[in-house]
Amino acid sequence: MNARLALLGAMLALVAAGGRAATESPAAGTAQGVYSAAQADAGAQVYAGRCAVCHGADLSGTWEIPALRGRFVGNWGRTPLAKLYDYLGHAMPQFAPGTLEPPDNVAVIAFLLRENGAPAGGRPLPADRAALERIVLDPVTPH
Amino acid sequence: MQLPGERGRSPNGARPDRSLTVDWRRREVLRGAGAAGLALGLGACGDARPAVGLPPAGARPSLVPMRLTLDQLIDVKCCIRPLRAAGPNLSAERLGDTLVIHNYGHGGSGWSLSWGSAEIAVGKAMSTLPREVAVIGCGIIGLTTAVVAQRAGLRVTIYARELIQRTRSFRASGSFTPDSRVALAEPAGPAFGDLWEKMARLSWKAFRTYLGQPGNPVEFGDSYAVSESPITRRHWPRDPAITGSWKPGGLPQQNSEFGHYNDRIKDIMRQPVDLAPEENPFALPYAQRSSQMYFNFASYGHALLSEFFAMGGHFINREFHEPAELAGLPEKVVIHCTGYAARDFWRDDTIIPVRGQTGWLVPQDDAHYAVRHHNLSVHSKRDGIVVMNNLDPSGQDIGEMLGVGDSMELPDRGPIEAALKTLQPLFGRGGRS
Ligand SMILES: Cc1cc2nc3c(=O)[nH]c(=O)nc-3n(C[C@H](O)[C@H](O)[C@H](O)COP(=O)(O)OP(=O)(O)OC[C@H]3O[C@@H](n4cnc5c(N)ncnc54)[C@H](O)[C@@H]3O)c2cc1C
Ligand code: HEC
Repeated sequence: MNARLALLGAMLALVAAGGRAATESPAAGTAQGVYSAAQADAGAQVYAGRCAVCHGADLSGTWEIPALRGRFVGNWGRTPLAKLYDYLGHAMPQFAPGTLEPPDNVAVIAFLLRENGAPAGGRPLPADRAALERIVLDPVTPH
Repeated sequence: MQLPGERGRSPNGARPDRSLTVDWRRREVLRGAGAAGLALGLGACGDARPAVGLPPAGARPSLVPMRLTLDQLIDVKCCIRPLRAAGPNLSAERLGDTLVIHNYGHGGSGWSLSWGSAEIAVGKAMSTLPREVAVIGCGIIGLTTAVVAQRAGLRVTIYARELIQRTRSFRASGSFTPDSRVALAEPAGPAFGDLWEKMARLSWKAFRTYLGQPGNPVEFGDSYAVSESPITRRHWPRDPAITGSWKPGGLPQQNSEFGHYNDRIKDIMRQPVDLAPEENPFALPYAQRSSQMYFNFASYGHALLSEFFAMGGHFINREFHEPAELAGLPEKVVIHCTGYAARDFWRDDTIIPVRGQTGWLVPQDDAHYAVRHHNLSVHSKRDGIVVMNNLDPSGQDIGEMLGVGDSMELPDRGPIEAALKTLQPLFGRGGRS
C-alpha cells in the first residue's frame, strides 16, 4: 500500500517535472537584458501618447484600471512575452484595440520592462512572435 | 419635537423659526414659481418637492441634539500617530534571503490611506512572483495589506502581537482624513504629493465599496463647523520668530512645516458650504456643513477580518524582538506593518510620536453627524460619539503641533470633559444636562 502510494507519488513528480520542463523551454528571461535602451525610450513615447491617459503617467493605474508596475509583473511573470505582445496587439489601447503596430508594441513592452526593473541589453526586442515565445518575464526585486 | 437651534440666535438677533422644515416648504413654492417658472412650471404644480428653488441640497435642518453629558462618557483612549517627516516608509530591503517591504509610518492618516498604501506594498511584493507572503502587524495597515495581497492571489499569514481590535488603529477617531500629519512638506518633497494623491484616491474608491454593507463599516455623514464669527479656512503661515525647523532625528518646530495635500482631491472631498441663518440649527450664529466619510471600527474590523479568514488567511500570534527574526520565517517576502512600534522594532527613529486622544460616549443612533467648534469636536458614529479636544492645555489652538514629540500614551479625561462642557450648549436646550 505504502509502496504503491510512493510509486504513484514518484510518477506524479515525474509528470510534474516534465510539465515544468515544457513550459521552461524558453531560452531567455527578461533579467538578461532583452531590449535596448533606445527602444525603451521610443516605447516611452508610445506609452505617453497612447496608454498614459488610462494607466497613468507613472503606470500606477487606478482603482478601475490595472497598474502596469508591481502587480503587473505578478500577472505576467514567468509567462512568455509573446502572450503580452498578443494581448497588447489585440486589446490595447482599449479605446482602439488592434491598432498597436508591431514595432510600437515591442517598444512599449521594452518600456514596461524597464519601468519594472528589467535591465536593458544591447539588442532591441524583436517584433517576432516566435522569438518572443522564447523569452519569459522574470521576477524583479523592488526597492 | 425639540430643535437644537431653538434657543439659538441668528446674526441679526432674530429667533430662528421653530419649524424649519415647514418654513422651507413655504419658500420653495414661492421661489420655485418665481425664479424658475420657466423650468416648466414644476415649482407651481403643488408638489411639495419642486425641482427648483430648494434649499441647498442635502441641508438637514432638524438635527436631533447629541447628548453630551458627562454621564454618557464611557471610555477615553489614547494613541500615538506614527509621523515620519518624509511620509510613510514604503521601501523594500533585503534581510538575508528575505525581502522586507515596509508599510508603516502613516501619521494621522493610517485609516484613510490604508488601501492605497497596501496597493503599493503588495505591488512591490508581486513583482517578485511569490506564492505566499507574511504580513507583520494587524492594525489597519497590516490587515488591509493582508486582504489586498489575498485579493491578488497570494497566500497570506499575519504575524502580530495583537489583532486589530487591540491595536492603536482602534484608538483613532476614524474619519477619512488623508493628509492629517502624514508628512512634513520639505523633507517629503514634491514627489510625495503625487504618491499621496494616488493612495488617497485609491483608498477613497475602496472605502466606497463598503457603503451600505451590513453594520455600515463605512458611512457618510454631515459635519458642521460652528462659530461665533464667520468661518474661514485656518492657515498657518510660517512664524518668522521660530527660526528652527525639522532636522533629521528631530521634531517639526511649527505648523507651517506640515505637508497639506487635500487640495489635490478637492473633486472628491468637497468644500464646506455656509449655512444661511435660517438653516443653522446651532446656538451660534455661523455654521458650515460638509460631508464626511467615516469608519465604524467594530463593523469595519469585523468585515476585514471576515474577508481575511474566509480567503484562507492565517493569523499567528507572535511578538518579534529584532528584525533578524523576520529572515527566519518560512515566507520569503514579508510586508512590515508595525506602525509606531517600528520606531523600536526597526530602530527607525525618524518616526515622530504625535500623541492624541479620544473620548467615547454611549452611541446615539438617532443623531449621526459631527460638530466642530474651535478645534473641539464631537462625531456621533454607530460605535459611539467620539469627542476630541485638540486644544493645548492652556486652551490654545496650536494646530498640528499638538502632541508632537509626546509619547505619553495614557489618557487624560480632563480635556475630554472640558470639551463636552464647551460643546454642550451649542445644542441649545437639547444638550443641557
Ligand atoms: C487620536 C488619533 C486619531 C486618529 N484619527 C484618525 C482618523 O480619523 N483617520 C485616519 O486615517 N487616521 C487616524 N489616526 C491615525 C491612525 O490611527 C494610524 O495612522 C494607524 O492606526 C496606523 O496603523 P498601523 O496599522 O500602521 O499601526 P497599529 O495600529 O499600531 O498596528 C501595529 C500592529 O503591529 C503589531 N506589532 C507591533 N510591534 C510588533 C512586534 N514587535 N511584533 C509583532 N507584532 C507587532 C501590533 O500588535 C499591531 O497589530 C489617528 C490617530 C490618533 C492617535
Ligand atoms: C481607454 C483606457 C486604456 C488605454 C488608453 C490603455 N489601456 Fe491598457 N487597460 C485598460 C483597462 C480597462 C484594462 C483592463 C482590461 C480588462 O480587464 O478587460 C487594461 C489592461 C491592460 C494590461 C493588462 C494588465 C494586467 O496586469 O493584466 C496591459 C498590459 C495594458 N493594459 C497595457 C496597455 C498599453 C501598453 C496601452 C497603450 C498602448 C494601454 N494599455 C492603453 C485601459 C486602457
